Amino acid sequence: MGSQEIALIVSNLDVVYNRIIVALHNISFTVKEKEIISILGRNGAGKTTTLRAISGFFKSEGISIRNGDLLWCGNSLKGKMPFEIVRSGVVLVPEREKIFETLTVHENMQCSVSNEINSKRKNQIRNEIFSYFPILKSRQKQTAGYLSGGERQMLSIGKALLCSPRLLLIDELSLGLAPLIISSLMEILSKMRCDLRISILLVEQNAVAALGIADYGLVLENGSIVLEGKPDFLISNPMIRDFYLGAADKTERRRYRDFKKD
Amino acid sequence: MQTLASILVLTALYSLFGIGYVIIYRASRLLNLAHGEMMMLGGYFFFTLATSFPMLSYLIIPITLVICALLGILIYRLSIKPMAGHPIFAAVLVTIGLGILIRGISILLWTSRTRYPLTVVGIKNEPIQMLPGVVLSTFDILTLIGAGAVFLAFFLFIKFTKFGIQMRAAAEKPLLAALRGIDYNWVFAVSWGLATFTGSFAGILYASNVRLDPTIAILGLKAFSVAVVGGLDSFRGVFPGAAMVATGEILAIFYISPLMSDIAPFVLLLIMLLIRPWGLFGTKEELERV
Amino acid sequence: MSSEFGSNHPLNQNRKINESKSTWIVSLLALSVILILPFFISGFVLDVMNRTLLAFIAAVALNILIGYAGQVSLGHAGFLAVGAFTTAIVNREMGFPFIPTLLIAAIVGMILGLFVGLPSLRLKGLYLALGTLGIHYIIVYLGGEYQFRWNYNTGIIIENPKLGPIVLDSGIKWFYFLAAFSSVVWVYCWNLTRTRTGRAWMALRDRDIAAASMGVNVAAYKLRAFVFSSGMTSLAGSLGAFYIHFVSVDAFTFYLTIEYIAMVIIGGLGSILGSFLGAAFVTVLPHVIDDLVDLLGTSGRIASHIFAVKFSFFGLLMVIFLIFEPQGILGIWNRVYHRLKK
Repeated sequence: MGSQEIALIVSNLDVVYNRIIVALHNISFTVKEKEIISILGRNGAGKTTTLRAISGFFKSEGISIRNGDLLWCGNSLKGKMPFEIVRSGVVLVPEREKIFETLTVHENMQCSVSNEINSKRKNQIRNEIFSYFPILKSRQKQTAGYLSGGERQMLSIGKALLCSPRLLLIDELSLGLAPLIISSLMEILSKMRCDLRISILLVEQNAVAALGIADYGLVLENGSIVLEGKPDFLISNPMIRDFYLGAADKTERRRYRDFKKD
Repeated sequence: MQTLASILVLTALYSLFGIGYVIIYRASRLLNLAHGEMMMLGGYFFFTLATSFPMLSYLIIPITLVICALLGILIYRLSIKPMAGHPIFAAVLVTIGLGILIRGISILLWTSRTRYPLTVVGIKNEPIQMLPGVVLSTFDILTLIGAGAVFLAFFLFIKFTKFGIQMRAAAEKPLLAALRGIDYNWVFAVSWGLATFTGSFAGILYASNVRLDPTIAILGLKAFSVAVVGGLDSFRGVFPGAAMVATGEILAIFYISPLMSDIAPFVLLLIMLLIRPWGLFGTKEELERV
Repeated sequence: MSSEFGSNHPLNQNRKINESKSTWIVSLLALSVILILPFFISGFVLDVMNRTLLAFIAAVALNILIGYAGQVSLGHAGFLAVGAFTTAIVNREMGFPFIPTLLIAAIVGMILGLFVGLPSLRLKGLYLALGTLGIHYIIVYLGGEYQFRWNYNTGIIIENPKLGPIVLDSGIKWFYFLAAFSSVVWVYCWNLTRTRTGRAWMALRDRDIAAASMGVNVAAYKLRAFVFSSGMTSLAGSLGAFYIHFVSVDAFTFYLTIEYIAMVIIGGLGSILGSFLGAAFVTVLPHVIDDLVDLLGTSGRIASHIFAVKFSFFGLLMVIFLIFEPQGILGIWNRVYHRLKK
């Protein structure tokens, strides 16, 4: 990692599918140390594609970067292999396929490769993970395939943390989870930011939960950023209210275009 | 009783052989149809080294194994890794092509004459009376011990070492493995090296126990049924699969005809494919992937 | 395989070559050359050409199965054997004449194809390949048993076939017959790929789940592909038996199957012209190597193991084509053509 400040700088990113279909257009944002940034938007808006582009998954998804750059600690992430990106401190918690089902919980946690050579520090991290998610400790010998949805998410985050990340990318944390679990997970993420000194880029459909812990938010629609700002601003914004908080009056169907004028 | 002993020895040989198919299938999701040729190469390397350095005696075996393992890694990097995006069948065809290439070059280098490596090294393969009515040769016993040792070591490796766990992880979900920092190319390269290691060990044992000539690569295809019967992606299935195929083959020799014993493994293969394609212990989902 | 439809699909590129006008002109030229050629060349070259044509028929059958319908088969040699042995039994033992024998061979092949196709409904990809491989070995075993029991250990001799008043007893006569026959096959297959059956096969190849949701009866078309392919292969095997005057199980090895797969790959998957180019390439190659070795006057070792040299070279070519040019010769042609166009 470079000697520069720990930050992810995404500038003017254009991403295309199969060399033709535009998935992302002119995306720019920054994630600084210990910040939590949230990307919001509906299905298909391009949120997951953004994370994929950052974590290096091109060939398997058929996407490529046409323009723009991704700088992590001063170095470009373009063209790097996924495992190299992980070893430089940027770790993705994917939406699907997040744990190894045929391995036990303990073995799952052993798979993570990190730059941390100090075994004492590694144990420290492991203990911190168990303190956040005590249930993982008690289920260590169990085959991961039998875990419940919430437990899988916890294991998945735990495994990601074992890679000693500086930046955690989380894709749709809340999908399929009960509200109680979602809020406790969000709380834990917030704690992690200070305890472990990591930044988090959180992609979420559940705007309320995400904005509850974020320092800043971006709203994507059709591959472009249509709105951004601090949580208060976003929550009070009528557009967000209509589209995400379901507060719209059904007689007034509106679209983003109506808002873009301002 | 002698029949049982023969079955046991053949099971050991087939297990050693078959595990190579499973290792590669789990890593690259393809059938390495050149496995038989690699096994044959193991025998030939053993023979050449034995001819040049007869004084090293038994030491030649581990040296050969290491060379073959490295060869396996080389083959992966040069011919399998480039096929990464292509349909799996194409990669299988590459292994077939490789097999043909290896066999051709072997004939050029060593001719089709049958060789007996042990005579060069000066080791004798003698029949030993084990129990009343049961006679096994030295290398029969070595096969049993060798296969057992390799299996034990492999089991320990894959279950308890960090790299072994990473191998299992990469076999299940390569993308997730990459997301957790595992360099799956390296994992796959080592897998191929391990497969050639076990395969060439089987080759050395067979070459010493029976004979060495270009046709023994056919054993590769027979041992292939072992992997399918046991389950292409299952380590647990290798031994049961080997046992079934070995039993079928030897019983066929005695009760039907020697010619039949050659196709007995294929009959078993077909039956398995028809009634339970994923083998005894394989995962059913594997079928969908293909 | 690739999920892209449309004319940019690599497998459809090859078809475009078939359809362009220049191809027609070239074909006509070739036709005229073909008609007068046999009188100007040696018996040896004529033999090679005849074998190429024979191989072409079997290669097209395989290409349709693998390249168009996307079904994997490693049992090709087995079906050739079926044709050959049927010929031995029907023509030699029972005395049926030429054409009926061919027909019977084709029908037997088709019936067998039906049986082989059935497992294909359950199995896909690698598992299907394995199944066909197993069937290959079983057929070969049965053929061996037949030879053994009926005391034909050195093989079965077939007489020259009679086509009406004409006896096919010379290279030239065989050439005209085979040229005519292959042309019919070519046109028939080319047509077939443009009918509903052909398109259904291509839909199968690309995404059979999507095909099913579009109303394509996947099972029926899969079976149809196997039946058609094995019927034609068996027919080719029968013709081969007549041409070589000889049937023996030793000729039908797994390696033979690989040769045909190589023809399809080297020539170009999913293309009839490609099947021809591949058949020519693989048939001619060993002779080219022979000449090369003679020319280089290399040491005795290589010359005495000339078969191994051809074998290795063949394997090497396969690997190289698969890694670097999966579209085969036709793919190379495509690229060169497009580059020259610029």
